[in-house]
Amino acid sequence: MAEHVATGSRSGLRSALPLLLPAYLWLTVAIFLPLSAMVFFSSMTELPLSGKAWSFTLENYATFFSERLYLTLLLASLRLGLEVTLWCVVIGFPAAYVLAKVLKGRSREAIFLLVILPFWSNGLVRIFSWAMVLREGGILDTALNAVLPFKINIDVMYSYPAVVIGLVHSYVPYMVLTCYLTLQAIDDSLIEAGRSLGASRLQMLRRVIIPLSMPGLVAGAALIFVPVVGSFMEPRILGGRTGTFYGTVIEDQFVAVFNWPLGAALSFILLAVVLVILALTSPVLRRAA
Amino acid sequence: MATTRILEWLGRLYIWLLLAFLYLPIVIMALMSFNVSPFYQLPFEWTTEWYASLWQNDQLISATSNSIEIAVITTILCTALGTAASLAFYRYEFRGKKFLQALLFPPIAIPWLITGTAMLIFFFGVGIGRGLFAILLGHVALALPYVIVVVSARLQTFAPELEEAARSLGANQWQVTRRVTLPWIMPGVIAGGLFAFAVSFDQFVVSYFLSTPGQTTLPVEIYAAIRKGFTPEINAVSTIIIVVSMALMLLTARFFKFGGEK
Amino acid sequence: MRMSKLTAFLTATAVFTSALTLAATAAEVHVLNWKGYGADEPWAIAAFEKATGNKVINDFFNSEQEMLTKLRTNPGLYDVVMINAAFNDQAMAEKLIQPIDVANIPNYADISPDKAGSPMLIRDGKVYGVPWVWGLTALAINEKSFETPPTSITEMWNEAHKGRVVIRDDAVEAVQFGAITTGQNINDIKDMEAVKAKLTSLMPQIKTFWSSENDWNQMVASNQIDIGTYWSGSADRAKTHFKLPVSLVIPREGAVAWLDAFSIPVGSKNVAGAEAFINYMIDPGFYVEWVTKVGAPVSANTKAVAALPEDAFNRKVMGDPDVAKRIQFQAPITDAQREAYLALWQELKVNVK
Repeated sequence: MAEHVATGSRSGLRSALPLLLPAYLWLTVAIFLPLSAMVFFSSMTELPLSGKAWSFTLENYATFFSERLYLTLLLASLRLGLEVTLWCVVIGFPAAYVLAKVLKGRSREAIFLLVILPFWSNGLVRIFSWAMVLREGGILDTALNAVLPFKINIDVMYSYPAVVIGLVHSYVPYMVLTCYLTLQAIDDSLIEAGRSLGASRLQMLRRVIIPLSMPGLVAGAALIFVPVVGSFMEPRILGGRTGTFYGTVIEDQFVAVFNWPLGAALSFILLAVVLVILALTSPVLRRAA
Repeated sequence: MATTRILEWLGRLYIWLLLAFLYLPIVIMALMSFNVSPFYQLPFEWTTEWYASLWQNDQLISATSNSIEIAVITTILCTALGTAASLAFYRYEFRGKKFLQALLFPPIAIPWLITGTAMLIFFFGVGIGRGLFAILLGHVALALPYVIVVVSARLQTFAPELEEAARSLGANQWQVTRRVTLPWIMPGVIAGGLFAFAVSFDQFVVSYFLSTPGQTTLPVEIYAAIRKGFTPEINAVSTIIIVVSMALMLLTARFFKFGGEK
Repeated sequence: MRMSKLTAFLTATAVFTSALTLAATAAEVHVLNWKGYGADEPWAIAAFEKATGNKVINDFFNSEQEMLTKLRTNPGLYDVVMINAAFNDQAMAEKLIQPIDVANIPNYADISPDKAGSPMLIRDGKVYGVPWVWGLTALAINEKSFETPPTSITEMWNEAHKGRVVIRDDAVEAVQFGAITTGQNINDIKDMEAVKAKLTSLMPQIKTFWSSENDWNQMVASNQIDIGTYWSGSADRAKTHFKLPVSLVIPREGAVAWLDAFSIPVGSKNVAGAEAFINYMIDPGFYVEWVTKVGAPVSANTKAVAALPEDAFNRKVMGDPDVAKRIQFQAPITDAQREAYLALWQELKVNVK
């Protein structure tokens, strides 16, 4: 009888510490310290490693605010995030509804798995696969022209819609997943009761189902919006001349232009934006939990 | 009830359309890996040449083996560290517990572009540098929260009385954990481990910023190829990894479902 | 007990991963170049490896900027780097490359004196770059889209090609291309506003910005583009090696000429191997095989060019005095210019939206 399930908060921490320490030490070294270091680096004139003299400055942040370019790009990225999120809602929510309320038993399970499965395959590869589909003279183009009596030209590759299609494809399973979880929790008898009281389908949807599934919608939206705002590889591959976004400029600072301090400042500004968005959505999420 | 029938039928149709949207590009990409033309020109001519030349491509092979090695080590480390942390959260009450649990959120929620560039700067600054070790450091941190969440979920189904009973029979803490708790949560641990493997194996952004020439992972190599010139070999290797990760997730799903049962 | 086990495990994994790190051995030559640009031809590597016992490991960049950053962030990794002579200056100033002992490169003696003596490659009497090939950034066309090849650069602004024009995603090249179009000296641009206006009006025509040869070739193969800027050697490769309907046009307004040279990065662990590789790359034997099998720009080695058939494009057209009059060689650009070009280019790209 060496140890009891401890209830006192101090002894609890003492017992818990050895179990928690390795994991949190790791997270500190690989996540929390780097994020703090980013703030530090973003206020330097030069990288200390380059051997050149460096000093602290706010110039990198000033650059963001003084040059319209970065603000324009950040807004473009936010707009992209918004559009992709909206499409994911439009496409994902009905699918989640069908899964949760129409399909039953084994077929539901199997189809649910099929919807979620691509999500766990490599994102880069899936974006690359769209490049195969969307090109003019690509396989979709050729196949449709072989079937259809008239000639059509599918040439969305290297355009803004191509980026949106690729991103929606990447993230729509998120929305299906989160909405499915909340929709499933809605009691079927509630819907039946409403119907028997004479509510139309549309009324039920507007008054009952959508409000009740709000937490799922918001969670899905946050999970989609945040990474899309920081996306760079998708617009790079699919966007062509319209493929310059906030994320691609950050990537450039690190791999091409070699202005890490500016890259860090831009990253940090993005982090701030992301945190604000997460903070705004967290009340809804907490209510769900 | 006819309307209901029609609506249900439309619903099913819709799901199949969604599935077509989800799988179409993947199928086309896989098909193109069997097409002769290096520029993806049609008509389609069958070949397995690209799979054959894959075996000659040392760079892709070494990147693949790096990817697998890192994913395996990540899996082992994450399940060990994650299970320990989950047990601590399950067993003990202490001040700051909520805070520590909330700290698991950032690695999942912050865009990888930010985490990746932050790691690059920090690791470069403190002398860890880039390369496979740095990539491993990053992958473990990214996958750890997932493991803790999954294992904790399984622990919720565990009755604390079992641990209590074992203790009253004279088992010490380690014996209780090994003989009673671990066997029960094993499905959750395995599911968490598979999650960790998938997170690491598919990770691109963080690996991209942390890799050096020669010390890269497969997704980084694929991205470099897409930007610098590629042949359907890339389709071939992509097809292989898509099949592998989907198989892996099917496996996870099996364990996870199993883990959810009381 | 548990912690120590864990520590032991962590140490083990650290040792394991660092064992993976110890890949570089003395007999390796790490080469940094464009992809598909001679140095990664499998037959060439095989021949070089057989002759010298060195193993070649290729790495690639897709912009001069990225090449410089790869040198900066990977000191000691590369043994040979291919640098456009106009960027050699910057690489040297940042101490990224070291002087080359040309006595160890026998073929250096055959390099045409105007190339070898280029002030871009020699500083304080020391050689920082061995000229390899030179070529043009000119126009290339999709033969399927033209009855007769155009002669003027303005064809890119032709409404008929809207959405079917490409240029490279490169600030310097784009600005210099704009300078040629507006009739200016590429190395002394007086009227930047004119360049900006010209490029701005080009943007709606553009399908995408290409960054690798492969981009260009794939787009032609799937008939997505009509015309665009392209490198002379790449157009040759597209035609010879990939059998694509591509031909090069040297417009009457002129073209940008560049000189590509090999350098040895500071910290190279295998300087002898690097010298041997450079010597092999400028050898007439390699060059002739490269041109015939694959397609290439013009060698800086006079003997190599002389070894080509007389009617070869690289001898006939590129050696034509009339062409020589039209082309302008890139000179090094200052940091201030580079930043100005980059800002202009970024602005153009962003305003596309």
